Amino acid sequence: MSTPGHTQGPASGDAAAAAPRAGYAIIEAIRRGEPVTGQTHEQVRDQPAVIRAADFSLWYGKSRALHAVSMPVPRHRVTALIGPSGCGKSTLIRCVNRMNDLVEGVRVSGRMELEGSDVYAPGTDVIGLRRRVGMVFQKPNPFPMSIFDNVVYPLRIHGQRSRSELAERAERALRGAALWDEVKDRLRQSALGLSGGQQQRLCIARAIAADPEVLLMDEPCSALDPVSTLRVEELIQRVSERYTVLIVTHNMQQASRVSHFTAFMYLGRLVEYGPTAEIFQNPRLPETEQYVSGRFG
Amino acid sequence: MPPSKARRSGGDRALGLLARGSAVTILGLLVALLATLVTAGAPAAARFGASFLTETEWRPNTLERPRLDARGEVVITGGEVEIEEVPPRFGALPAIWGTAVSSGIALLIAVPLSLGAALFVVRIAPRLRVAGPLSFMIEFLAAIPSIAYGFWGLAVLTPWLQTVAYPAMERLAGGTWVAGWVFRTRLADGTEIPVGLTGKDMLCGGLVLAIMVIPIVTAVARDVLRSVPRGQLEGTLALGATWWQSSWGMMRYARAGLFGAVMLGLARAAGETMAVTMVIGNNMQVAASPLAPAQTMASLLANEFKEASDQLHQSALLLVALILLVMSLALNVTARSLVVGGSSRTAAAH
Repeated sequence: MSTPGHTQGPASGDAAAAAPRAGYAIIEAIRRGEPVTGQTHEQVRDQPAVIRAADFSLWYGKSRALHAVSMPVPRHRVTALIGPSGCGKSTLIRCVNRMNDLVEGVRVSGRMELEGSDVYAPGTDVIGLRRRVGMVFQKPNPFPMSIFDNVVYPLRIHGQRSRSELAERAERALRGAALWDEVKDRLRQSALGLSGGQQQRLCIARAIAADPEVLLMDEPCSALDPVSTLRVEELIQRVSERYTVLIVTHNMQQASRVSHFTAFMYLGRLVEYGPTAEIFQNPRLPETEQYVSGRFG
Repeated sequence: MPPSKARRSGGDRALGLLARGSAVTILGLLVALLATLVTAGAPAAARFGASFLTETEWRPNTLERPRLDARGEVVITGGEVEIEEVPPRFGALPAIWGTAVSSGIALLIAVPLSLGAALFVVRIAPRLRVAGPLSFMIEFLAAIPSIAYGFWGLAVLTPWLQTVAYPAMERLAGGTWVAGWVFRTRLADGTEIPVGLTGKDMLCGGLVLAIMVIPIVTAVARDVLRSVPRGQLEGTLALGATWWQSSWGMMRYARAGLFGAVMLGLARAAGETMAVTMVIGNNMQVAASPLAPAQTMASLLANEFKEASDQLHQSALLLVALILLVMSLALNVTARSLVVGGSSRTAAAH
């Protein structure tokens, strides 16, 4: 690395090395360690936002993973975060439900708002926050219990005991996750016996069973085969009618298929953010164009 | 073939043989031990059969007593009381009972404490930067020789129980059924007498054992909990689980391994000899009260083996040793398969 002053991010080295050398103002500025303001299209700004990051930065110990990210996430839309490995996409969505609290030595600055209130404000009810923000992980993580018990887990831990209510909400969640027909005859069997794709849809059912406002998805298809991926993608579009979805993906075709809006991140900065069609077909910045056409990253 | 290569392959072969030989020797030792115990215990097993496990009388001496007739009168022949000889009897039930109760008390105390400590080490200590020192301390506790624990039990715990704890418990229990169970005991003829509170009893043995098994159960439970995939913990937390709910989720995921940890603790408690012998009271009886002196299988062996001159007595003791060995073996095998099998199942599922 020839330029001093930018050593942030665990994977920044590879990503930067693969980046084009000249003619890209934003990447040049990032390399010089200067603050960067991303291009956010007005179509995004016009949308009513559920989540809003404002000048949001995050450090893992001494290394900075997010640099003053400002982005609104529109209500009842699918918003995709794309960018090369280590660009901070996962870090960013894991701040919305404060999953990063689990990591030692994490420090944040700026605001991360859910419906206008800062989730990092002192005294925030983190458990209440996580009830409002569902999350689906990279690897399906069904609990070692029956399919039914998995789906109603969030309801049970919040004190719902009524059998009929649990049964009804389990069915609704499983239908919502397009899994009902496949599992309705074996709800009492272990969830670990399901295929990978079914397990991931079960995790989606579990995440929506408690009726969250927002659904975070951290590369939900990266461990799935193509057919399962397709089904989960259909599902993502379906659930966006009722939930705001923020999805991290490595796969640009996936982003273009499932999302309404796409944000391109690079080295912990938001570079360009707009309607998905614009980002993929008519990006405003050369960096974005380079990335979505697969020339680096 | 160049000579150096030939030498090396010769050395390889020798080392291979050595390794194989070592493995076979160790296995052979176990088989030899089992064979010895089976052979030595055979006379007692043949004599008493299954009643060895159910009889409560353990009497190494021949008893001489006046012969009674059918009406219960002393039989007198030629002006002299007729004497009959009752041969020694060996029933191991008191030792099995003592082992079960003292180990049970130990687990009752040790399991919750160990699980709590393991959760602390896995989930809280890293944040406070005390996980390393704490783990070291736990492992250090496991390395303290058992006689040290026994001596502490004898010198500190026993007098404290006898003079402070038991009187207080007796006042608290008052005239309730608890008092009847804990502080009274029934003799063979049905009369009820107070338990002699010596402080050397199954409760004291159980307490000392609890302290001794906490390190091993904690250490294994800690490793088992650490091997729970991150996705499981994050999965529960992301759904809004509290600290306890997510910890419960981890324990549920790791339940086979945790059960294995408890089994290992049980194996250690049941086989522990020195410390228990010092504090259990060494009395071959089956008493309901945990405050009654008792005997465990291991303490029985420690107490009697060097004085057992009679063949049948020795055989009976070795049969007890065989039962203890088989039991420990079974517990250990179960525990290991649960701990190891538990984590491989984890790997397969994720």
